[in-house]
Amino acid sequence: MKSIYKYIFTVVALFAVTATFGQSVDDLRLNEMMIKNVDNYADEYGRHVPWVEIFNTAYNTVNITGCYLTDDTTGLAKGGEIPTRWYRIPTDQKMYMPQRSFLIFYLDNSPLYGPYHANFNPAESKTHYIALISANGKELLDIVEYPVELRDTARTFGYVKDGVRDPKAFKQGKREAGELDYLGEFTPASSNETGEKISKQDKLKRDDPYGIGMAIISMAVVFTALIMIYIMLKIFNYVTRRATQKSKAQEQAVTPAKAMASKAGEEDDTVDGPTCAAIGTALHLHFGSMHDEESEVITINMPSKHYSPWAQKELTMKRNPRR
Amino acid sequence: MLEFFKEGLLQFLSYSGFGNCTWGHIIMIGLVFIALGIIKEYEPLLLVPIGFGIIIGNIPFTDGLQVGVYENGAVLNYLYFGVVKGFYPPLIFLGIGAMTDFSALISNPKLILIGAAAQFGIFAAYITALLLDFTPMEAGAIGIIGGADGPTAIFISSKLAPSMMGAIAVSAYSYMALVPVIQPPIMRLLTTPQERLIRMRPPRAVSHREKVLFPMMCILLTAFLVPTGLPLLGMLFFGNLLKESGVTKRLANTASGPLVDIVTILIGLTVGASTQATNFLRPASVLIFVLGAFSFVIATASGVLFVKFFNLFLKGDNKINPLIGNAGVSAVPDAARVSLVEGQKYDRTNFLLMHAMGPNVAGVIGSAVAAGILLSFLY
Repeated sequence: MKSIYKYIFTVVALFAVTATFGQSVDDLRLNEMMIKNVDNYADEYGRHVPWVEIFNTAYNTVNITGCYLTDDTTGLAKGGEIPTRWYRIPTDQKMYMPQRSFLIFYLDNSPLYGPYHANFNPAESKTHYIALISANGKELLDIVEYPVELRDTARTFGYVKDGVRDPKAFKQGKREAGELDYLGEFTPASSNETGEKISKQDKLKRDDPYGIGMAIISMAVVFTALIMIYIMLKIFNYVTRRATQKSKAQEQAVTPAKAMASKAGEEDDTVDGPTCAAIGTALHLHFGSMHDEESEVITINMPSKHYSPWAQKELTMKRNPRR
Repeated sequence: MLEFFKEGLLQFLSYSGFGNCTWGHIIMIGLVFIALGIIKEYEPLLLVPIGFGIIIGNIPFTDGLQVGVYENGAVLNYLYFGVVKGFYPPLIFLGIGAMTDFSALISNPKLILIGAAAQFGIFAAYITALLLDFTPMEAGAIGIIGGADGPTAIFISSKLAPSMMGAIAVSAYSYMALVPVIQPPIMRLLTTPQERLIRMRPPRAVSHREKVLFPMMCILLTAFLVPTGLPLLGMLFFGNLLKESGVTKRLANTASGPLVDIVTILIGLTVGASTQATNFLRPASVLIFVLGAFSFVIATASGVLFVKFFNLFLKGDNKINPLIGNAGVSAVPDAARVSLVEGQKYDRTNFLLMHAMGPNVAGVIGSAVAAGILLSFLY
């Protein structure tokens, strides 16, 4: 039986690992930012402060708790104490970012105002970039260098196409031309692509007009799901067979006499012909309602009237209460 | 006085069914469904409520009386709410789960792949519907008819194409009822006499522990992959756990008995009533029926052909009789019964029913997964 729990544990562990990989913080982007906020987006206290928008480009939920926002990456990968201008994103329900969602952080150097208020203000910074760093403090998830003039302009800067960047260039510390730019409209907590929006339907019709792509993907997913169940059932089969063999072997080893008896018992289990015939006849009689025991008897004889307490009137009468 | 009587009579006539009747109301096919259910006994539990619903839905009346299924405040409208919001189908899946024995599948796991192959009918119909100028959402709703699963068809169409739900539901249930008519010719066409005689190895006994673990593991595997199928898959496996756990017999009995009966009555009646002539009698409805038949044919053919292909890799008594390939569609247990009947035509001692139940219940899982994928793409 222990082996069954071993397999269950393996499957659960596999799920946990898959879920962990599914929630990859690599998919996060610093999608849009504003430093000189005069009369635009206000925080929950009605203040106009610098802000940055994080975008989850993935199609799954990503937990951003523990990641760092900063305007000074000098402490990156050094370990040890957390540098002063690093803001550790605290635990909060909203930190589980759903697929393709946006989250705003205020860069107002007021962390006591709540979990969405960072401990630095880029307007007072020596650098002109904002970075997002992984929870272990070693990986640069995204960094956006903004023009210095952004501090004096009431405009937003960010990805022209939501979170789309060239991964190769990013690894080399470069950016493709036109990837980041001033944005035409300020769009906190929503898409930067403000042009003509195409519906999911139209996009599907445009990209896959005959539905062949979707059919292939869908059939692949159906097969994957059922193949996973197939593998699980194969494991069931294997474990059951092994458990049966093991228990049989143990029984035989402990009590050979018992094993012999059980073997004899197995032989006795085989049903012979006459028994089959008897069972078959009984079933036939039963289903054909030809059973020989009737619940009632039909007779021409006068039935004798037996005594019955049901007929005794005094038993049905209410008794006097006891004193 | 005479004028008052005349006016009163005319007013009464204008409220009556006679005054509002059109040819559309007369030619609706409720009586045909009832006749098929009672005389031919084709899925009577579904066709009789749907047929009667069609009659109810096509009694002509003046708008504003709050009696029609589409009128706010009408009793039928309240009952129809479960269809529109899609909460009847998961309840039916709960009952199906509590009725289904997955032993055949657990003992011979490779049969599950037939249930996957048969889902091709859904996507073949989707592609064809797109070619016929339906929108992707409508095409998805039409395609699901190929899953041969009424509750799933209603669930998906209520989300993707509510205006077509009546036609899709009636089409799905009609073809499910006609499984014994549609499938055998395709099965005979695609198999050789030798293949029809293949005898399959008897399934092994399945332990109680396996039966209990099966729904729990399945829900984890499938719902993680396709969370959009959760309402159907979750209820299906929950119902099965109630049945197999052995400690919730009362709940399992309620789910597989009174609950599923009540929901079947409500869903059948209201879906039937939703086929009002004014909404139903359109060229699109005819196309839906044609596409539904097409998807059924493709689903059956895919299942049978997949078994033939699969047999190329199997040896000896591991080979599968291709006559159980049709059971990959999820019309439980009718499709499996068709396999049995067809198999016995060629060898009276070859009982394929339990073997066919494997792909049949796999088809239920497969169609729910396919429904989830359609929702994630199109909704």
